[in-house]
Amino acid sequence: MSTAAQPPHDISVETLEEIAKRNQTWPVMAGKYGVENPVPPWKTSLDGMCDAIDRSCAGDDLGFSFQDRRDEEDVLSATRYADLPYPENQLVALAHSLVARGVIDEVELRRRLEAVRARLEA
Amino acid sequence: MSEHHHDHDHDHDHDRTVKPMVNEITDFEVLEIALRELCIEKGLFTAADHRLFTEFAEQIGPTPAARLVARAWLDPEFKHLALTDPLAASKQVGVDWLDPTGFGTPSDFAAFKILENTPTIHHVIVCALCSCYPRPILGNSPEWYRTPNYRRRIVRWPRQVLSEFGLVLPDNVEVRVEDSNQKHRFMVMPLRPRGTDGWTEEQLAEIITRDCLIGVALPTPGVTTNVITKTRPAIRGIAH
Repeated sequence: MSTAAQPPHDISVETLEEIAKRNQTWPVMAGKYGVENPVPPWKTSLDGMCDAIDRSCAGDDLGFSFQDRRDEEDVLSATRYADLPYPENQLVALAHSLVARGVIDEVELRRRLEAVRARLEA
Repeated sequence: MSEHHHDHDHDHDHDRTVKPMVNEITDFEVLEIALRELCIEKGLFTAADHRLFTEFAEQIGPTPAARLVARAWLDPEFKHLALTDPLAASKQVGVDWLDPTGFGTPSDFAAFKILENTPTIHHVIVCALCSCYPRPILGNSPEWYRTPNYRRRIVRWPRQVLSEFGLVLPDNVEVRVEDSNQKHRFMVMPLRPRGTDGWTEEQLAEIITRDCLIGVALPTPGVTTNVITKTRPAIRGIAH
């Protein structure tokens, strides 16, 4: 992965593509377990995260504005993550944008995913 | 719940007494937590900020907007206030646009305007660029509002898109599509329908659904929600 001046959607983030490929999306999981909630339980937490980022990151050195986030989400949802439904595509697009900007390192993200999963499964 | 003695000596099936859950940790659940933790560690926001925004996202909905319109239908002075000073009118239904979360201004702070429908003008809102929406007063936008399909087509072919929502307007009604943006938010004040004479504010508010306030539906007596729920027989957890 490179953070050179490439558009974020031109950058491949293997960790996120693997997640997209495994397709543990809410419609699939809800169908498997007979759950009726239309959206996954983490949806409002993601909303909170997007709001917090929009509020804090637009004016700082990162320059990641609401408009940037939504534009990239639209492009990524139509291209790299076209097979994911909403809000999975929103979550993965947000992660992609942050990795592509170098805010989060992909190796660091992969390690954290492993650590969080281990904690939740403990 | 049951006439059985609850001593767990019998072959009791607890799975049939609780709602089903996804009994597996998904990649997306893990990703949401991992991403949030990394953002907090890198100082993008604090855990307390996130919790407050999440609480805000969970409690907002279209109820204040419905009350505002219902009150405007009943009270000409309040209607005048709603159309001339929508922020002041919002405050009277419990929404402070300058500080909707109570802890600062989120990204959707806006110049807010209420668009009054008339017998010959129908408004519908969109955000052609992304998904700007009057969230403090209308709650989170529906999924379809965010789609490029709605955003692109409502601007070009509003009547066609409205008809897909089941709203077919006569030719003598002009359709105005109002495009939101980062600085401006809109909501529609629909016309009060016939058959509502003598109704209370509460009764009127019930028929002013979210979609009426976006402009893809019209308030109709007897229609109190846009959601059609399926019913099914109750699951009996006992007496098998």
